Amino acid sequence: MAETTHWTGSNKYLCDPGLAQSFHMARTLGMPLLIEGEPGTGKTDLPIHYAKDRGLDLEVYPVGSKSNVEQFVARFDHVKYLRDSQIEILNAQREEKGLTTRLSTGERNPESLADYVVKGPAAIAYSKPNSVLLIDEIDKAPREFPNDLLYALSHRKFIMPESGEVIEISEEEMPAIVITSNREQELPTAFKGRCIYHYIDFPDKEVMGKIIEKHHPSIDEQVVKVALDVFYHLRRLGLERAPTTREILNWLKYMSETSPKEAVNKIKGLEGIGALIKTQTDMERVNRMLGASDSTFGARLN
Amino acid sequence: MLSSLPEHFRNHGLKADVRTLLLLRKAMQRGLVRTLGDVHNVLKGIIVKEPSDMGPFVKAYYAYFLHVPIRPGQTLEDAILRSETFQKWKTEFIEEADRDIGDEELVYTFLDEVHLTSYDIKEVISGKEIWDKDDPDQEDEEHSNPSEPQERTLDKMADYSDLSLEELLDRMEKVQKQQKTRHGGGSHWIGTGGISPYGHGGAAKNGIRVGGQGGGKMARKVLGDKNYFPIDRDALLNDNNVDAALASVKGVIEESAIEKLDVRQTIKSGLKRGGLFIPELKSEKNEELKVIVLIDNGGYSMAPYVRSVQNLFRKMKTRFAHDLEVYYFHNTIYDRVFTDERRTKSITIKKLLQHSKTYRVFFIGDAAMAPYELNTSSIQSLKSIAAKFKKSVWLNPEPLRYWPHTYTLQIIKELIPMFPLTPAGIERAVQSMNSKSSEN
Repeated sequence: MAETTHWTGSNKYLCDPGLAQSFHMARTLGMPLLIEGEPGTGKTDLPIHYAKDRGLDLEVYPVGSKSNVEQFVARFDHVKYLRDSQIEILNAQREEKGLTTRLSTGERNPESLADYVVKGPAAIAYSKPNSVLLIDEIDKAPREFPNDLLYALSHRKFIMPESGEVIEISEEEMPAIVITSNREQELPTAFKGRCIYHYIDFPDKEVMGKIIEKHHPSIDEQVVKVALDVFYHLRRLGLERAPTTREILNWLKYMSETSPKEAVNKIKGLEGIGALIKTQTDMERVNRMLGASDSTFGARLN
Repeated sequence: MLSSLPEHFRNHGLKADVRTLLLLRKAMQRGLVRTLGDVHNVLKGIIVKEPSDMGPFVKAYYAYFLHVPIRPGQTLEDAILRSETFQKWKTEFIEEADRDIGDEELVYTFLDEVHLTSYDIKEVISGKEIWDKDDPDQEDEEHSNPSEPQERTLDKMADYSDLSLEELLDRMEKVQKQQKTRHGGGSHWIGTGGISPYGHGGAAKNGIRVGGQGGGKMARKVLGDKNYFPIDRDALLNDNNVDAALASVKGVIEESAIEKLDVRQTIKSGLKRGGLFIPELKSEKNEELKVIVLIDNGGYSMAPYVRSVQNLFRKMKTRFAHDLEVYYFHNTIYDRVFTDERRTKSITIKKLLQHSKTYRVFFIGDAAMAPYELNTSSIQSLKSIAAKFKKSVWLNPEPLRYWPHTYTLQIIKELIPMFPLTPAGIERAVQSMNSKSSEN
């Protein structure tokens, strides 16, 4: 059980009520929250803004294809340990010969094993009460990683390798754990079973308008309206990579530098559409469609 | 009874077991479950594990908790309008509301009540204090006079958080029994039966709109949205489910990525230091996925699938497998496979076998042909491919039920592990591949 008050978003982050409830539920039950959804729907932003808003410590573990549980929890740096102990010998030999140059072992002392324990985000998060632990893009991980992770998370206690230091946390002070996934790889069933699951739907026009307002509070209403029309029109085309929240925010950022009237014209002229379209095939497709609509409906989109 | 809950949800193709109940109980103990809407949300978090589970979940939930069966192709509104639960609720509701209300609005009100969560209530009465002080029994006495509806805010509030799972089971059982013996008994989970969070009329008449926060809206949206009603994972591969298949195929990426002790370098530099070995590291990262695809593109039987298959493997190539080679054959393989679709250019099997044994081989074909076509030389070729490339599978577009009727298919199946050409089949094929080592 982590910090368990119901959090509904901040002035920078619009939290979908369903997501807020799932997040609350996960914290109350002391389970990790697994968030899936299209890219750019604010999965990663949830724990970041939550931690910021509540003034909690945030530990982030970006998952990559090399991830393993040792990195996540803690590992003993055998190599450094060996190096330092060898250096001790080397230094002793040099001293014997009357040489003054010494190799440094940094601040580390081979006598103290704890110096060679490299703590990962999990160990750090578990040593601070009520922190937030974000495990980002777990679908990028090697296949066995989620299950290993599960084992690590199901215990509220880590024993550091070699040094034997114990990191333990009470259920009340457990970190709030948020795991995000882009669904690039199916996660093991057992893993999903231990998480509270939430799928973020792509926001509809109305919600998107509110999101834009949070990010660009001063932008003209008309500009937003026109931009949203174009944006959802593009999404409906079934592009290989449909534009997401992040992209429309960037696009509008670009537009916000001009006067509203000019911006509306620019949007209607699809200027800077490269901010929305990400692949060559999609670009060609959009161009082709624009060509088609030109000949049939005149310059409707231009 | 709730003990039948896991089984009921499993029958809808969802994953539920005794742990589901344990978690539900834990949620109740922690005060997460106070209304029927909360039950929905908690179960959703526990049971739904991917978007395509949402459709079946809504169905299972409505059938189990509200006795609203949703038939295939039926909309939620329709199902609710036809259900006895709704009829019962409606009679009571209209009586209290004392005015004519359209069906649509009725359904919406019904959904709002059903999906009302404790979060919504908290928002409306703003302040945990009122919530905590609220004592359903007392309020009932004070404000039970129907002539003063404006003061009834929390009168019919039921709080499950004090109930143990056993008690809840008990209540459920009673409700269900009633349902069985007395048809039209309605569900006590809603309406004025005592468990419902709000007596209808109460809050709504006060002018406070306690619209369920998306719960009802979500449910309405889900039923009829193809994003939620899943593509049948056992349907044959087509352009629509090619992405699902791709997700399965992704399982074949094998990665080895570790920092390794560079023994050679360590020794070298150690010797230079006069036998003082300070370890040197090198990082290694291999993304290994080498694939050979052999497609049967001859004959009418295969024609409908060739495009989807090519599409699948083309996507696969651009996304993660750069070592992907495609060859074609007709019905079966003799001494050569073809490099182009029209089967004019070819390489010999001998050449094919020169590929590294780490290649994975996908055969795609219906394995149906005249028995004489599958002669000794062909069987020999297939055997040698399977022997060289341990990770070989055959994907067959023919529906599984026809398999036993094809003689040649039976023979080939013995030589090469065969799976249906469906997303689920591909997944199993990939699993079987991964269980085999390309060594020995």
